[in-house]
Amino acid sequence: MTMQYLANPTRFLRLANALLPYLWALTAGLLVIGLYGALVSSPPDYQQGETVRIMYVHVPAAWMALFVYSVMALASAVALIFRHPLADVAAKTAAPLGAAFCFLALATGSLWGKPMWGAWWVWDARLASMFVLMLLYLGYMAIWAAIEEPHRAAMVARIVALVGFINVPIVKFSVDWWNSLHQPASVFRMDGPTIAAPMLWPLLVMGLAYTFLFLSLHLVAMRAEIAARKIRQIQIAEIGER
Amino acid sequence: MDFAAAHAGFVIAAYGLSLVVLGGLSAHILLRDRRLRAAARRLDGERGDTRA
Repeated sequence: MTMQYLANPTRFLRLANALLPYLWALTAGLLVIGLYGALVSSPPDYQQGETVRIMYVHVPAAWMALFVYSVMALASAVALIFRHPLADVAAKTAAPLGAAFCFLALATGSLWGKPMWGAWWVWDARLASMFVLMLLYLGYMAIWAAIEEPHRAAMVARIVALVGFINVPIVKFSVDWWNSLHQPASVFRMDGPTIAAPMLWPLLVMGLAYTFLFLSLHLVAMRAEIAARKIRQIQIAEIGER
Repeated sequence: MDFAAAHAGFVIAAYGLSLVVLGGLSAHILLRDRRLRAAARRLDGERGDTRA
């Protein structure tokens, strides 16, 4: 299926409507299995005790915050280069979802940090770069809200999304480049994960559940945005006919 | 999960917050989608009636 094929909103909506029931079912199934693994079957940590269970909602939220921003940047690049009519819709509707995941990563991290580090917040490289990511999401959303003319808003938003993408590798590698209270990467490593299997599988399943939740909500949000643009077009046409 | 363990409140708060934020966002997106698609269909219908 080509990118041009999906440039037609009617075709995109047909595909989205067909996919959504399966995506919702996968999301629900993965969430049930993931939460069972996170809260029931996985053992407490030998140092952190039960507090380690925050990892199963914190880490996937942080992964999604980075993934969604990457989706936004890719969609913005496609909009800028190929003028794909749905690329701006994809980027614009991904932003609130990414902001929610980023907020959850920061808030659940804070709830994990207080009992483990003794502080709600520290200005280490990982936290500071995640905070910058949150500001980028909010700034991107503010552009769409503040600029009334859609084409101008889209152009400014594309540039902000692409420039802001430089922060994504900074967040990812901040724990390697600078001294940090965060542990180094322990799942996605060249030499394999360093987490024990009973803790790894619930983490990966929760990561997949969050990914499918994002995909489901993103398709619904894109469908809503297409309807909003159609309403705007009809209203403009009606004004022109008067 | 041992709910009587030390710091269990932090774990409950993290899962509760995740549920509230993701549940609230899902509800908002689904309701907005339903409202906008209904409005688009209504406007489409009205324009069809005018032209007929």
